[in-house]
Amino acid sequence: MSGWQSALRAGKVQVGLGLLIILLLVALLAPVLAPHDPREQDILNTLTPPAWDAEGSAEYPMGTDSLGRCILSQVIYGSRTALTVAFAAATGSMLLGCLLALVAGYLGGKTDWLVTRMVDLWMSFPPVVLSLLLMVGLGTGVRNVVLAIVLVDWTRFCRVVRSDVIVTRRRDYVTAARLLGFSHLRTIIREILPAAAPLMITMFSLEMGIAVIVEATLSFVGLSVGADVPAWGVMIADGRGYVHQAPWAMIAPMIAIFAAILAFNLLGDGLRSALDPRLRTSRI
Amino acid sequence: MSEMQTHPVLALDGVTLQAGTGNKTIELLRDISFTVERGRTLGLVGESGAGKSMIGRLISGLLPPSFQVAAGRLLFDGADLTGQSAAARRALLGRRIAFVPQEPLSALNPVLSIGRQFAEHLARLGVPDRQRQDRAAEWLAAVHLPEPRAMLRRYPHELSGGQCQRVLIAMAFSSEPSLIVADEPTTALDVITQARIMQLLKEQQALHGAAVVLITHDLHLAAQVCDEVGVMYAGDMVERGPASAVLRAPFHPYTRSLRNSVPALDGPRRILPALPDQMPGVMALAGLGGCRFAPRCPSRDTACAGALPPWHEVGPAHRVRCADACLGADFPPAADVPDGLIRLPSEAPAVLELCDVSLHYAGRRGLFGRPAATIAAVHEVSLTVGPGEFVGLVGESGSGKSSVARLVMGLERPTSGRLLLEGHDPLTADQPLLRALREHVQIVFQDPQSALNPRRNVFSLVTQALEVSGHRVDRPERRRQARRLIEETGLPADCLPRVPSQLSGGQKQRVNIARALCVTPRLLVADEIVSGLDVSVQAQILNLLLRLGRELGISLLFISHDLAVVRYLCSRVAVMYRGRIVETGDTEEVFANPRHAYTRSLLEAVPSNRPPVDLAG
Repeated sequence: MSGWQSALRAGKVQVGLGLLIILLLVALLAPVLAPHDPREQDILNTLTPPAWDAEGSAEYPMGTDSLGRCILSQVIYGSRTALTVAFAAATGSMLLGCLLALVAGYLGGKTDWLVTRMVDLWMSFPPVVLSLLLMVGLGTGVRNVVLAIVLVDWTRFCRVVRSDVIVTRRRDYVTAARLLGFSHLRTIIREILPAAAPLMITMFSLEMGIAVIVEATLSFVGLSVGADVPAWGVMIADGRGYVHQAPWAMIAPMIAIFAAILAFNLLGDGLRSALDPRLRTSRI
Repeated sequence: MSEMQTHPVLALDGVTLQAGTGNKTIELLRDISFTVERGRTLGLVGESGAGKSMIGRLISGLLPPSFQVAAGRLLFDGADLTGQSAAARRALLGRRIAFVPQEPLSALNPVLSIGRQFAEHLARLGVPDRQRQDRAAEWLAAVHLPEPRAMLRRYPHELSGGQCQRVLIAMAFSSEPSLIVADEPTTALDVITQARIMQLLKEQQALHGAAVVLITHDLHLAAQVCDEVGVMYAGDMVERGPASAVLRAPFHPYTRSLRNSVPALDGPRRILPALPDQMPGVMALAGLGGCRFAPRCPSRDTACAGALPPWHEVGPAHRVRCADACLGADFPPAADVPDGLIRLPSEAPAVLELCDVSLHYAGRRGLFGRPAATIAAVHEVSLTVGPGEFVGLVGESGSGKSSVARLVMGLERPTSGRLLLEGHDPLTADQPLLRALREHVQIVFQDPQSALNPRRNVFSLVTQALEVSGHRVDRPERRRQARRLIEETGLPADCLPRVPSQLSGGQKQRVNIARALCVTPRLLVADEIVSGLDVSVQAQILNLLLRLGRELGISLLFISHDLAVVRYLCSRVAVMYRGRIVETGDTEEVFANPRHAYTRSLLEAVPSNRPPVDLAG
């Protein structure tokens, strides 16, 4: 059974993947699923309780926030922001980090030294402070959030994937490929990249979870997406003010964040166990 | 005291070990019976996967929970081990039953000094604190380690493999055990160290009167060191008896083929008859009732696969487990190697020529990065390989053989001297010529595990050379090439879509060789390619190399530490020691009349050359 097939059979991977698919569907079908426009304000119905409460109505299933916006619709549309940021930031960090890792690990010598020192320096900055600084410098907006996360998290990819590349580089089959006349580029693509791919994919998955947290953190302090874009972190920040009157304004996005990160982490963890040959237990 | 002397130290009586996987139970060991008396050595001989180490683990009780002893008794000094509690068995380990493991460097804790580990062991034996260091030093002196007191403060990575093994033997004997189980204690060591370690073991055994169970795959070693030998195959003991009888005149077809598959260092050169396939793996055992050797046996009949063959007495204390009809069958003696099989040097220009080539590495670096000392990995080595010639390069690990391989392949540049490929110097050749020269020299790596990309299938691996821009061909042509290479190296046609993890060790090595043959090289560099293989698989690969030499006319630079294999394969040999070639010449001549002291010591250390058992007959 190949690594991928056994990966898909693992319980964690199935649960994680299932949750992720649900999230994706919610995000894609948001206009269909959400009862209201998330930005539509209904001044007459502010801070209404959820539908199952005695005073709630079915019109606003989870109630409304201080500006009369439907909480459920905000959560549903917020998934779009979260997933966009998650995928884009993970992709960006992976591309930047892995590119540098491949180059550094494969070439070794001065290149490796330079990249490693750069990573060391970069990682010395506290990540939260660094991303806050970047957001202040770049301004708000989804694109800038993604950029900020990529610029902070690429180092994580680089460091981990580099050691994998170095281990693979030493294997005889890489030397054999070079001796057969493979160019450096062809060797990296055909021999080293497939060996590092499982690790990269696992880290990608985990990075998506981290991106969601970072985005939520940034929007909690108001340095994330713009004011009119629904985001879970913003909902939590707003909801803090009136948590006793309308607790669901804060609880709903928290559950959503929890579910998203759980999905990414289960998927990433399951993939790692399934694809890492060392962790696979042998029979007998 | 007399009560204890009537029992053999260790007695296995019809022991069957089962492992359950789901609904199926597999019998990993079937009906194993043997006894070991005080002061005697029993050898358990067999290839990897035969179950020899399993017996060692059974004795120690270190088996996974799903394994259980389904039948038979395991008696140590008269007491049944299987009936005892785990705590009682643990109490025996390290005290009355001692182990000498296979990998000495990894058997010692790398972060504790030798003294600490020995003291820990002695503490368990009840030695009072004040005496521990002294006793440890005494034991290290008893195993002939220099400066025992200083040795106590050192760490395992500062010692050589041989020295670590001595420490482990000292620890094993320090508890004055009744039984020592040595699991391949010298496999990881070079020939000369192996000889010394085995000598030490026998010496200590004679002093303390312990019984020794020696687990090994090396027939010659077992013949030399053991009193009694039991031959294992796929969990069965197929033959058992006095070492000289079993190994000089074996009865079981497997023992015979094992003996014939090992190349001999002296006596007439014979073709190694190679058995097809390999020993069944653990998962395949479930489907094999009856004699497990039957599928490969040259003299099997229908009764063999039916039931486990019974024991037959064929000599004093010599028993064989085989069908009636096969006993006493006359096996044709192995034919002598005809002269044409090994090419002799011809007049054509040399394929490879090394003239006073040296390779120096920078050693320790001084304060500002300037090298303080240089290590001469290779020092003024001169060697030629003619077209179609098989040349052997022998030496121990660290002698510089692999560095020579790297020089030949162009992975390193010589610090001085000239290296010529087919008469041209690759350093001054222009690009097209250089590419052609490099293509004509191909390497086959030692470890098939790391030499093959685990994500490529066999088809993609053997035709890997065709992915380079100069050789790009279309798909049907690539398939044709793949099929040609598979056939040439004796692989089954259905292995093309398989990945390396689905291949056996021998098959992986064949794929390795096939990949090297893809661009029809003139010279193959084989760096220890048969070292990790079972004896019968090794014979297959050696015969394959001979056939390739005969049919394709390739030259071979065969690097190895195994002198008998080099003798079988190569017409000329060069002996390396510490980066220098100390002797070179015609193989038979060098091995029959060695002139350099190092060559002599190498030859003397190889087990088959020493008395008392002579296996040449």
